[in-house]
Amino acid sequence: MDKLLRDKKAIILFTAPALLLFTVVLFIPICQSIYYSFCEYKGLTAPKFIGLTNYKNLLKDKSMVFALKNSIFFLLFSCVTQLFMGLFLAALLTNIEKGRNLFKNIIYLPCVLSSTALGLLWMFIFSPKLGINQALEKFGVEGPLWLMDTSGFIILPMWIIAFVALWQYVGQSMMLYMAQISGISKSLYEASYIDGCNKVKSFFHITLPLIRPMVATAMSLNAIGSLKFFDLIFNMTEGGPNHRTEVLATHLYTQGFKYNKYGYASAIGVVLIVLCLLVTGIINKFVKTENYEM
Amino acid sequence: MKDNKVKSTVIKTVIYLFLTLVAVIYLAPLLWVLMVSFKTNAEIFTSPFSLPESFYLDNFIFAWTAGKLGIATLNSFIVCVVTLLLSMLIGSMAAFSIGRLRWKLSKPCMTFFLLGMMIPVHCVMIPLFTRFAKIGLSNSLIGLIIPYLTFSLPVTIFIMTGFFESMPNELIESACIDGATIYQIFFKIALPLSKTGLFVTGLMTFVANWNELLLAMVFISDDMKKTLPVSLSKFVGPYNTNYSQMFAAIIIAIIPTIIVYCIFSNQIVDGLTAGAVKG
Repeated sequence: MDKLLRDKKAIILFTAPALLLFTVVLFIPICQSIYYSFCEYKGLTAPKFIGLTNYKNLLKDKSMVFALKNSIFFLLFSCVTQLFMGLFLAALLTNIEKGRNLFKNIIYLPCVLSSTALGLLWMFIFSPKLGINQALEKFGVEGPLWLMDTSGFIILPMWIIAFVALWQYVGQSMMLYMAQISGISKSLYEASYIDGCNKVKSFFHITLPLIRPMVATAMSLNAIGSLKFFDLIFNMTEGGPNHRTEVLATHLYTQGFKYNKYGYASAIGVVLIVLCLLVTGIINKFVKTENYEM
Repeated sequence: MKDNKVKSTVIKTVIYLFLTLVAVIYLAPLLWVLMVSFKTNAEIFTSPFSLPESFYLDNFIFAWTAGKLGIATLNSFIVCVVTLLLSMLIGSMAAFSIGRLRWKLSKPCMTFFLLGMMIPVHCVMIPLFTRFAKIGLSNSLIGLIIPYLTFSLPVTIFIMTGFFESMPNELIESACIDGATIYQIFFKIALPLSKTGLFVTGLMTFVANWNELLLAMVFISDDMKKTLPVSLSKFVGPYNTNYSQMFAAIIIAIIPTIIVYCIFSNQIVDGLTAGAVKG
């Protein structure tokens, strides 16, 4: 049997297709992308090496400042709110019997729907003359221009988009926590009730410590997801008004494929990769712990 | 004792009220769009919250034909199914080789694949785009399938490796004694025994690619080759002023997913969660 499992030809045959795709579609393009970020490259002519100029321009670019600020706001907002809302919903749903599946499935539904369609849907709900403003009109209130307001440090449209993203993806975190909670043995809870714990206390002293590894997983998923975030913003505001709701991904798209500044857009891509690696590293270092026996 | 009972009933009622409120927040936007998509454009502004008076289907017909949503649905379906099948095959082949076959570099190889999970597709888009334009793969569905497939592989390989590693040794041993080749073992024993894994990874791949917008938007500009999210995003734009048709387009885009979800919701939710837990 050992001979069969060490068959060189089979190993190559099984591994080669995936390895080839990975090298050609992922590994080489990443290297090229890093190289392009040091080049002036507009598509028609060959890339020309210009050193750190793209990165220096990034620092002076006003839209880049907005994009970076919004992406980081978005990252923090979604990590924190998804953690609390996800845990809260998971705690509620694991404590009820009737209708648990129904509520669970309703909350999870937007996770599988196209965020393009949902983004457009919310764009209409918050548009000047439709949706919420039509409802407000019935009460004689004139609604604000939800997605075009630009006052404040974090502007109103960003908050709206962040809440829509929470609405769409909280089901994912909730399900991850529920899966972990249902794996905790009942006897732990029974013992705690005998010792005089109530349900709230047992949640903080038994459930929370035991699901900590899952918090790390869910948080990294949220963090990478929110850095990659594109669909909702593109369909709700397209980065406007005046680039104020730009995030890294939309900024990269605009610079790269609207203005054909491939070199400059690659530099934004490099910033994005560095942020992704940094954030997952931080989360894994500070949140992840040894797995407990359950 | 009686106090406790009253208290727990009150708490239960509050929980159910809260959850009902949450459910309303989730369903109301979807139901509103469904409702107004049956109205004429004028009705949307005069009576936005009443039930539609008649089922005005012209919106849907217009969105389906002029918005090219019909062809876009077909394109999306082709791309997703081909990607799904290929990623299952190529992914589980690599997973089998890492999880079961014996070679020195299997661990580093796994790390290499897992790195792919951390890399956002945005970062490879520009080199891929320029390369594909040179070799004639831009504006073709194949040019879309290749990156989709590659980005579906890490999760597939990771989950399937887990399945193959947990397979009992005796099965392979007895197959060996019966004179099976390694290919027979893979296709006739390992794959059929990992149906759950294939279902989970297939589901994740399909959902992710069905909804993908950015790559499809960059790589495809030909109207006849566009996928569903791209056509939808283009049809529902600032230059369109017929709101009811745009609402109908949104409904067309999400209704297939909703129907499938309603039928298989438990399997889908559990499958995707299992995938995320392991991934």
